[in-house]
Amino acid sequence: MLGYLLRRMVAMPLLLLGIASVVFLLSQITKGDPLSALIPERMMSNAEVVATVKAQWGLDRSLPERYLIYMGHLIQGDLGTSFGTRRPVSTDIAERLPATIELVVAAMIFGCTSGIGLGLLAARFKNTVTDSAARIFALIGSSVPVFWSGLILLFIFSVKLGWVSGPGRLDARTDPPPGITGFFTVDSLLAGNVPLFLEALGHLILPAFVLGWSVTGIVTRLIRSSLLEAMNMDYIRTARAKGAPENVVLIHHALRNALIPALTILGFTFAYLITGAVLTETIFSWPGIGSYAVSAARSLDYPAIVGVTLVGAVAFLLANLLTDIAYAFANPRVKLEG
Amino acid sequence: MRLTARMSRRHLLVVTSALALASLAPAAFAQDSETLVIARSMDVNSLDPARAFCDTCQIYLSATYETLVTLAPDNQSLVPSLAASWDINSETTEFTFHLKPEAVFADGSPVEAKDVVWSFQRLLNLKGSPSFLMDGMTAVEEVDPKTVKVTVAAPDSEFVNKISATYAAIINSDVAIEAGAIADETAATADTSETWFFENSAGSGPFTLAGYTPETELRFARNDAYYGTKSPFAEVVITQVQDAVSQAQALESGAVDIAMQIDPDTAASISSPDVTTEVVPSFNFVYVAFSPGAASAEGKLTPAVREALALAIDYDGMLEFTVGGNGFKQSSPIPNGFPGTAGLPEPSQDVEKAKALLAEAGFPDGFTLDAVYPNDNVYGVDLNLMMQKVQQDFAAVGVTINLQPQTYPVWRDQLTGDGIPVTAVYYAPDYYGSGQYVAYFAMIESTPWAARAGGAAPEAVVNPAEADLYAQALAATGEASDALYNQIGLEMIKDKIIIPLVSPNLVLAYGSDLAGVRYSACCNLPLNEITRK
Repeated sequence: MLGYLLRRMVAMPLLLLGIASVVFLLSQITKGDPLSALIPERMMSNAEVVATVKAQWGLDRSLPERYLIYMGHLIQGDLGTSFGTRRPVSTDIAERLPATIELVVAAMIFGCTSGIGLGLLAARFKNTVTDSAARIFALIGSSVPVFWSGLILLFIFSVKLGWVSGPGRLDARTDPPPGITGFFTVDSLLAGNVPLFLEALGHLILPAFVLGWSVTGIVTRLIRSSLLEAMNMDYIRTARAKGAPENVVLIHHALRNALIPALTILGFTFAYLITGAVLTETIFSWPGIGSYAVSAARSLDYPAIVGVTLVGAVAFLLANLLTDIAYAFANPRVKLEG
Repeated sequence: MRLTARMSRRHLLVVTSALALASLAPAAFAQDSETLVIARSMDVNSLDPARAFCDTCQIYLSATYETLVTLAPDNQSLVPSLAASWDINSETTEFTFHLKPEAVFADGSPVEAKDVVWSFQRLLNLKGSPSFLMDGMTAVEEVDPKTVKVTVAAPDSEFVNKISATYAAIINSDVAIEAGAIADETAATADTSETWFFENSAGSGPFTLAGYTPETELRFARNDAYYGTKSPFAEVVITQVQDAVSQAQALESGAVDIAMQIDPDTAASISSPDVTTEVVPSFNFVYVAFSPGAASAEGKLTPAVREALALAIDYDGMLEFTVGGNGFKQSSPIPNGFPGTAGLPEPSQDVEKAKALLAEAGFPDGFTLDAVYPNDNVYGVDLNLMMQKVQQDFAAVGVTINLQPQTYPVWRDQLTGDGIPVTAVYYAPDYYGSGQYVAYFAMIESTPWAARAGGAAPEAVVNPAEADLYAQALAATGEASDALYNQIGLEMIKDKIIIPLVSPNLVLAYGSDLAGVRYSACCNLPLNEITRK
């Protein structure tokens, strides 16, 4: 186990450097004016302004020079300065990552619990109306684009019914809680401010539902098929023979084994949600990594693009690693040998 | 004993449930009347007056800083701001400003001549986007602690208008220098204060910067040391809301007080009596530009052809198609209501004449051109829809244009690269004055659009009359100057390089309990004029 972890940890920085190089180079060959975020259209013909900005941002150097300078800083942990926000990319990411993680964790909670629940229902009542209904709900969640479901649900539940809050992490009038974790729900509780917690939760529910719903489908289908497969195993027959009630058999015996393949998917689901938050964050004006990525891509802000890509890459790599570890615990027959 | 324990347990359960339910009850929604919330899609590029260049920047700068003079609510007259009065010499080359004795910065220190000198020098030397406002300034000097004299190289009757732009804000020089700001010739390379300006303001305005999170919110706190009339709002928040529909929803729900980018169609769908919507003319306009020098134009866009294409456009239909009639036609690339625009001929469609001109120019069967433009919605005008209408109108006279919407950076790359035969762009004013349009749109050597339209051979599009008229206009004042700008307008119309299509109206949408919400040509939305009834 330890040897395995060490090998993975050593490989990670090399992988990240490779990813950064590829994304950097891709951003350089992408068509478009790199000064778009730095100089407004009306000034782009002003030679003095253009020369000044290019010099300030190093855009007057050749590509190899820019690459070496960028990589040199990256190795030291410096992600550069964003063209769009004019602030260090690491500052931007540190400020926005908690918002995305809070959203993704909430989405995971909803997506996985609803997926597992629906999967259980579908398996328990196989080939009945309940089975069809559960699967249809799950399928809709993974089929409908988040930007469409987001707008529709926002209109219905926030604007028309007023049951949940509108876009943003808090009402615009509200000052955020003192920053400890950056998660408004957690920080407001740490500050002992229950009304603020409820407000933050009210803003989080709808985007988390929309985002989580997109993974309900895959979780539901996986749990259902794994459970059905597990229900045909010998140990299930043994449990039934001992007189265990069907629900006990299903939940206590079959579900644990059915979760083993689900763990693999759950790990990737988390990473997928980190990157899939892009559209949800845009629709709900959620100030996370996703909306930052959209703005960066739109304005060819390559330091920010590389920064966000590295965050996504780290999320995937860590999720993969944690999944393997969890897999070993869930299934004693699997050993992660060094 | 058993009975007691059982009752105790039930009682505890009831109490616990009651507490849980109570804590879950949402607090009654109470509007904080001391906070003003504005929804808009922010386009902030900097919060440093000498680098900033955006619509949101104008709101921010006019709230936290002050300029020497500013625009009156009529959007035409200049009124004192930091300068109580000013003198101009007869040659229009020297401007002397007398500062208000009572003016102080937010930290309580007095606004002095040295701050003006420093701020203007920095605006020029930093070579940021708004540095053009100081082009031509040869000296700015302190006459005494409350008097400043500015000297320009050539007569400039528009200089005082230029410094009403929010980018000519007067910065507390002591505070800024401490933060790494530099004003001398080395400013462009040596100034390191941009980050500081994202976290602090150093002005004398009615508000100070309370916080800025990119694409999330911009917060202002009331400046309690303000020497003028204080705002009733302790706090103002500009919150990022991307699109018009979301802004309208936030306004109707009471989450925000003002929505700034609602188009007339969306405004028409607002039914709440708690919301007021006003549709007012703006000075913004969207235009089509021809570039005869673009590589793919292949010499087709001759003056006669350009005139034919301009005549092919259905200007009235364009207004209906793009903004549902909520806007105005515009004659020349100087907005309606700006000096010299009165009496200019309105653009009109004449398909038969257009066809005749094309035949005469050697294109009886028409030709094909590329039209590349940003895939964007600006001031309520969807450029895709607008260009589709243009495509239809040109098709009626036999000219085919291939529509190629592009992302903004790609469009810009092409505009400064090979050039674009037909494109669509937009313009919003920095101050009230026609010179800024001549400096940008006229076919005068070295203006941006002469360079773009001419491509490798700018002399082919240069109109010598315009340079002369511009110099004369800057040397003249009042009605004489207006008459000259009128002539320049006529020449620019004749050029047929910049074809304004729509001057979209602007929708002011705000809570009905607010007063003083208005559009300003220099400052967009003057925050200190807004009160709650």
